[in-house]
Amino acid sequence: MARPKPIMGLTPELSYGETAARAVETRGGELLGHATGVLDTHDIERVHDMRVASRRLRAALEVFEPCFPPKAHKRAIRDLKALADGLGERRDRDVAIAALEKFSARMPAPGRPGIDGMVERLRTEQSDANEDLAPLVSDERLVSLADQLGKLVVAARKPSRG
Amino acid sequence: MKARKVKKLDPAGPLAENAAWIVRTRVGELLDLAEVALDQGEVEAQHDLRIAAKRLRYVLELTGFCFGRPADTALGRARDLQEILGEMHDCDVMLPRVRDHVASLQHADAEAVRSLAGPSADLDPRLAIEAPNRPDYHGLEVLAVHLAARRRLMFDRFAAFWARQEELGTWIRLERAAEAQLERARQTRRAAKAARLAERHADDVEAAIEGVEPEPR
Repeated sequence: MARPKPIMGLTPELSYGETAARAVETRGGELLGHATGVLDTHDIERVHDMRVASRRLRAALEVFEPCFPPKAHKRAIRDLKALADGLGERRDRDVAIAALEKFSARMPAPGRPGIDGMVERLRTEQSDANEDLAPLVSDERLVSLADQLGKLVVAARKPSRG
Repeated sequence: MKARKVKKLDPAGPLAENAAWIVRTRVGELLDLAEVALDQGEVEAQHDLRIAAKRLRYVLELTGFCFGRPADTALGRARDLQEILGEMHDCDVMLPRVRDHVASLQHADAEAVRSLAGPSADLDPRLAIEAPNRPDYHGLEVLAVHLAARRRLMFDRFAAFWARQEELGTWIRLERAAEAQLERARQTRRAAKAARLAERHADDVEAAIEGVEPEPR
């Protein structure tokens, strides 16, 4: 699992609002940075890394919720959740396939056909999940998400919100 | 599972104090859920505890530096806890999936064997041996047993891990570090208030000496 990027310049005395702005900037950048090649089913770590980044960003949005305008915050969480769900569906199949292949490799030959048949079924589901994920990681969707996050960062820095 | 609402957060206030309120709430959530989740049959509570461990972990990734070593330790252990509970959860998800797959194979086999019987008045048991998916069942049964046994093993690991963290005071130390941070914030506020009062008093004294009315406040 990718380690989180450090958020620069944080101190215990820094305001909660400014910390929120820096956290969302860093975690948002991290998420978008993991979007490349995420639909490639031959490298399942890409989906995993992007999923973890989406969770970290969501955690930052939740931890710093009072620093953001409620409507914009709700909308960003909703869009992020849709993306995380899409990544989760793909990841779920990736993990199941990897676990079953590992299990099958350690089974005596007569036990393998059933497991391999289940892997085939999961591969179909993986492909379906990938198709559902594609629009969620399109440039258009990611640009829109980046735009929303940018607005949240600005709002968190406003003096009235810290 | 919805996260517990954290009260008293102030965007203009310092990170450390706000983080302390959040960490205290998240640790409380973890401890309350663990009480139920330590019962092997409480699958939902175990799932909720995994989510709570994840929430605590991510808060500590962001703010742990405000609480020193207890937070470093708790961050590592929250990650471990999340991993063990995640392994249990994987078994919980996979087992019904295997059963569902077996059921669909059996359904297809029943249809196929029925066709083999043709117009017979009854089904010859030997025809069931011809079921096309018959070679698949053995491996899937072994897999189901493996998953059920692995789930139990992971639960035992979870129970032992939790007991060990209680012995070491992992969560309590973190809770105390958050409390200490809140106490520091209270002291800072008290000191600031005392300084403001002292300043006013000094102004009043100065005004009395000069024989002028003190400025309205």
